[in-house]
Amino acid sequence: MLLYLLQQLINALAYGSILGLLAVGYTMIYGILGLINFAHGEIFMIGAFSCYLFVTIFNLPWFTAAFLAITASVISGLALERIAYRPCIKKGGSVLAIFIISFAASIFLRYLFMMFFTDERRAFPIPPFFEKMYFVGGIVVGLRDIIIFITTILIMLIITYFIKYSKFGIAMRAVSYDKKTANFMGINSTLIIKIAFIIGSMLAGISGLEYGLSFGIVNPGMGFNPGLTGFIAAVLGGIGNVPGAMIAGFIVGIGEVLFVAILPSIYSPLRPLFVWILLFFILFLKPTGLFRPNVKFDGGWGE
Amino acid sequence: MLLSIEDVSTGYGKAQVLKNISLNLKKGEIVALIGANGAGKTTTLRCIMGMIKPWEGSIKFNDQKIDSLPPYEIVARGISYCPEGRDIFANLSVYENLKVGGYLIRDQNKFKSSLNWIYELFPILKDRCNQIAGSLSGGEQQMLAIGRSLMSKPSLLFLDEPSLGLAPVVVENIFNTIQQINAEGTSILLVEQNVTLALDIAERAYVLEKGEIRLSGECKELSQSEYVKNSYLGIA
Repeated sequence: MLLYLLQQLINALAYGSILGLLAVGYTMIYGILGLINFAHGEIFMIGAFSCYLFVTIFNLPWFTAAFLAITASVISGLALERIAYRPCIKKGGSVLAIFIISFAASIFLRYLFMMFFTDERRAFPIPPFFEKMYFVGGIVVGLRDIIIFITTILIMLIITYFIKYSKFGIAMRAVSYDKKTANFMGINSTLIIKIAFIIGSMLAGISGLEYGLSFGIVNPGMGFNPGLTGFIAAVLGGIGNVPGAMIAGFIVGIGEVLFVAILPSIYSPLRPLFVWILLFFILFLKPTGLFRPNVKFDGGWGE
Repeated sequence: MLLSIEDVSTGYGKAQVLKNISLNLKKGEIVALIGANGAGKTTTLRCIMGMIKPWEGSIKFNDQKIDSLPPYEIVARGISYCPEGRDIFANLSVYENLKVGGYLIRDQNKFKSSLNWIYELFPILKDRCNQIAGSLSGGEQQMLAIGRSLMSKPSLLFLDEPSLGLAPVVVENIFNTIQQINAEGTSILLVEQNVTLALDIAERAYVLEKGEIRLSGECKELSQSEYVKNSYLGIA
């Protein structure tokens, strides 16, 4: 039993990494714009799906394709900000309007890809190098899981360092806390918003690639569930709190896998429900999330 | 003229707040802008800072028009705003707040010299530099807010209600420092509800009422005027 749990825990590390990277994008963009970017799951899908397209259609080497796929995610994220969100925010659109736009953008991107490629599930190209397995005392550890986990931890350390010490990182936290006052400090918040979208979309793209590597399947609708779960992780981590989102991503990912592993298999279809129950209980006990949120709660949605 | 505002009208949405405001400030001066709650004092400052655009009129800084610039450009030109209610970044440390204040400084040496200057003006901030700003006392938060807005070494500083909600002894301390900052070469536009204090520290003052300049002149004269005495100083 212990061995079984340990095995599940190892399996959960990759899933936790995927959610953690996704949650960072949600939390950064929410922190800065007060906007739940529901199209984030589609940015994630674009990372995975375009890597598949680059490898199968254009016959590019895997790493080139992966790099281009991350670039595609970043470009889509920036386009989303420029075309969908910025005009609405500039004209003083209400929170509800921006919320609906983000849903619309999500659905638009998903169905755009479905229209061109159908929602058929395809095998994600995995370089043979990643397929290696190690057997350690009765536990199977895939090399790809190790690579996914280590890459994620490295990225998270870099992002945490960036947020904590770099000038842009500090400015980002300042904008996230109080945009108006940050403007008075000479911060161009439009630039900071762009940087947040670049980083958030880059991480979503990487997360998409990790998903492809880990589950081996991609399709245009793949962003929906991980997208929602990543959003829940962002809320649990204390909205606007980047390290919090990373840790919460791992908690939700590991929790979800263990939920399936421990309970009898008839409960497995309830897997998506589990995260909502977890969200409910944690917010019931601690309404601001597990860690200190990085936004100013002034009773409204800010400016 | 360091700052000259001519016939500026503005407001929020369709609600007009300022009506034909004219105001000027010479280099090295402390000028006070006084008035009751809702008279339009903060709106005036926000309008100069580029947060809201003037409907009509012009704003010039160092003889250059600044009324169509975004706030970050205005900060870059040398105006700094210390907001009302000491809107410090409570989630950042004291040092990080000052770092945000010096956001536009590229040169590391200039940054350090600014930082040392602030630590000289407010030694308490140096002692608390790694503390989360939200945990400071009211007076310390005000000092941090002023220090943060001075990081960019502005030639003109806007102080919005620096005495608000502070104990008299803290206010005295802060106002002494404000005079010191001015003596070291920063011109100041001071918005205050505490009229006695404002008239005491400033050379000239403007009295704002319902979005219009009601009176202006030397502080010495204003504090003798019957109108100011009756309406603002509470002396019959």
